[in-house]
Amino acid sequence: MKAKITEDWLSVIIAFALIVLALVGIISPTWMKF
Amino acid sequence: MTTKAVKQTEKNNDMVGPILGFLLVVVLAFLARWLKNQVYGVDDLFGWGVPGRVLEYPLWAAIVGLLANWILKAVKAYDYLKPGFRTELFLKVGLVLLGCTISFKVIMTAAAGAIIQALIMVTAVYFFCWWLAGKFGLPDTLRAVMSTAISICGVSAAIAASGSVLAKKEEITYITALVIVVALPLMVILPLVAGALNMPEAVAGAFFGGNIDTTAAVVGAGTIYGETAQKIASIVKATQNVLIGVVAFLLAFYFASVVEGKKERPSPAIIWQRFPKFVLGFILASLLFTFGTIPAASSKEPNAGNAIAAMKDWAFCLAFVSMGLELSFKEFKKMGWSPVVVFLIVTVFNTLLALVVSWIIFGWLFPPVL
Repeated sequence: MKAKITEDWLSVIIAFALIVLALVGIISPTWMKF
Repeated sequence: MTTKAVKQTEKNNDMVGPILGFLLVVVLAFLARWLKNQVYGVDDLFGWGVPGRVLEYPLWAAIVGLLANWILKAVKAYDYLKPGFRTELFLKVGLVLLGCTISFKVIMTAAAGAIIQALIMVTAVYFFCWWLAGKFGLPDTLRAVMSTAISICGVSAAIAASGSVLAKKEEITYITALVIVVALPLMVILPLVAGALNMPEAVAGAFFGGNIDTTAAVVGAGTIYGETAQKIASIVKATQNVLIGVVAFLLAFYFASVVEGKKERPSPAIIWQRFPKFVLGFILASLLFTFGTIPAASSKEPNAGNAIAAMKDWAFCLAFVSMGLELSFKEFKKMGWSPVVVFLIVTVFNTLLALVVSWIIFGWLFPPVL
């Protein structure tokens, strides 16, 4: 049976992936500037 | 071509619409940011005495989303791209990232007031809406979906309630459309009302969070009013969102046993199934920030905290653009206008009650420690 990731969990996974990328310096604060 | 190859090609084609839709949202978010930057530093817009900084990005994002919505429908490209307009997903990513900028102490102190406010608001608004919709002769399923949407949190609550009461698909799309149509103007009007009443930011945040139906517009109104208002509005709304599961369970119980007269009872597991899991991500992010794993944003030396804060703004901007893109009036023709009248009366009731309750709780009884 295929487990389906809900939108809620997907949002948490995406957000933490972005946090990790920012913490290791791959996402730079300069080019993300809003 | 084999059946497998045909299926794979169809699957690839299915992905093109959502990807193009998402790319369009990104382009529109850039446009919204550009528009905001054009007017942000202007002291007096059009000679009306309105400073450019009051036109914050949620407003621009919703406007460009609305314009694109009409253009896409005119050129008949809307339905193809629609799967890429993921308001709820973008918003929840933004809310988890927002957790990285809020100390857990703020969440705890604000949550105390938010829980009391949520219990008062959800109970009063739910039963007022249920009663009024009954007076207007609306079907029980529509009453349940509408009451849950207005009292808790718009779109996701409407979906949760509809699952519990087995509402018709058109009832869900109707309420979803109604929620967005009402929430968009409120996102702009309520910060003006709060400003006219000289509301402190924490009280204004609680007012927006307790009143506006959809979380995206709550965050938008908070962003327009100020940074603290954005944080408190998000905490208050997240607290209200947590009640979705409880209401979904109670509704399923009521409809199964009272309306349909069945003997079997729904399982309390529904409370966890409907629990908004992004709230857990929000709390975890706040704990990581509180314990120093995630640094605070610095204006002198930009760090990971700055990058996360900027990504949060981008995620919210994508959500506000999508909200404008998802606005639709066509559902109203199908079901008539009496549910609209009920919805608007309850929204006014909700606004006035939220004004009093948020001021008492966040202004006097439990002012959050900021």
